[in-house]
Amino acid sequence: MAFNYEKYLRIQKMPTLWCWGCGDGVILKAFVRAIEKMGIKQDDVCVISGIGCSGRFSSYVDFNTIHTTHGRTVAYATGVKLARPDKVVVCVAGDGDALAIGGNHTIHGCRRNIDITMIVINNFIYGLTNAQTSPTTPQGMWTVTQKIGNIDPTFDTCELAIASGASFVARETMLDPKKLEKILIKALEHKGFSMMEVLSNCHINLGRKNKMVSAMENLEWIDNITTSKKKYDAMTEEEQLNLFPLGILKQDLEVREYCDMYKDVIDAHQGKRAKITQDDFKKKI
Amino acid sequence: MSTFLTVNPGDQPVWVNTSNCKACDICVSVCPSGVLSMVYEVTSTLGATIAIEHPESCIGCNECELSCPDFAIYVADKKEYKEAGFSFAKLTDEAKARQVAIAANNYYSIEQGAR
Repeated sequence: MAFNYEKYLRIQKMPTLWCWGCGDGVILKAFVRAIEKMGIKQDDVCVISGIGCSGRFSSYVDFNTIHTTHGRTVAYATGVKLARPDKVVVCVAGDGDALAIGGNHTIHGCRRNIDITMIVINNFIYGLTNAQTSPTTPQGMWTVTQKIGNIDPTFDTCELAIASGASFVARETMLDPKKLEKILIKALEHKGFSMMEVLSNCHINLGRKNKMVSAMENLEWIDNITTSKKKYDAMTEEEQLNLFPLGILKQDLEVREYCDMYKDVIDAHQGKRAKITQDDFKKKI
Repeated sequence: MSTFLTVNPGDQPVWVNTSNCKACDICVSVCPSGVLSMVYEVTSTLGATIAIEHPESCIGCNECELSCPDFAIYVADKKEYKEAGFSFAKLTDEAKARQVAIAANNYYSIEQGAR
């Protein structure tokens, strides 16, 4: 007997519609294994996904799921979390979903520090719509919209989340599923906004004109542009160029969570406590 | 529906559901001991499918199962497999050399020749 995937996945939707070698399947697997390891009931998890290849995620997992409009995962998740603060709410979005059309929702989710785990599957391209430039496409790469080579500067998801105020920020790749599972558990356990960026491959659309035709070639490229946080910190600024550090980049346990603060508002309205003042928060404005 | 094949089909350390396999080569590349390799299969989209050629070398590291995006490959649970009276193999030099040869052969089975 191997791991019982039937329990957590919708068998009638299988096999997955993703291309051969797509990292989304590995992340899906790591996610259900993390949920199993943590011992959370299926009814206590809500998975919300937007549009894109990663949007299929919510169709395959057998939890409470919402397949929402493009980029609005965090907006829906905020509603779910505020209505049922006892549930585990997980957003799954791609790089276009989370950073381009849903960029505003993402940064404000981070700012509020609401207890949502957001998994951003970054494949460096708009994969579903056939290789248009995404906010994370590296400069100089071929895309359908910039055939001479991409000139747009690249977004760093984790830096964005740290700057916006997310209390847990981590980055992993799909190359090491065991480590991915471990970090996912930490992200799910963390109380506050957890931004989890997972670097994934798209050899079909990113690779076909960028000399990475097979899944393995694309994964080797991802391996070359990433390094552990420990090694990254020891590097000089010149060596750090075009490299991504892996692991937990930020974990803040001091800052208050949004549902917790919202409880104060409810209590104040019901006359159970005095009005909210600046002293209620550890951070100053 | 037989989408998953989580039940061990008879005391195997590792087994596959070839109808799920999309022939992406990832599982073959992560195996440290040359257990897996790709073989020709005319009905598959990419003309290949996964095959277990040397189950006796499996060390039970679980890497192939975790790295498979399409739920095509399964490894026996370590505890359960031991209780049933079997054990996983140790990593030998011969197995390591076979893995290097398979990788050099474009992840294809050595017996079947080059891609």
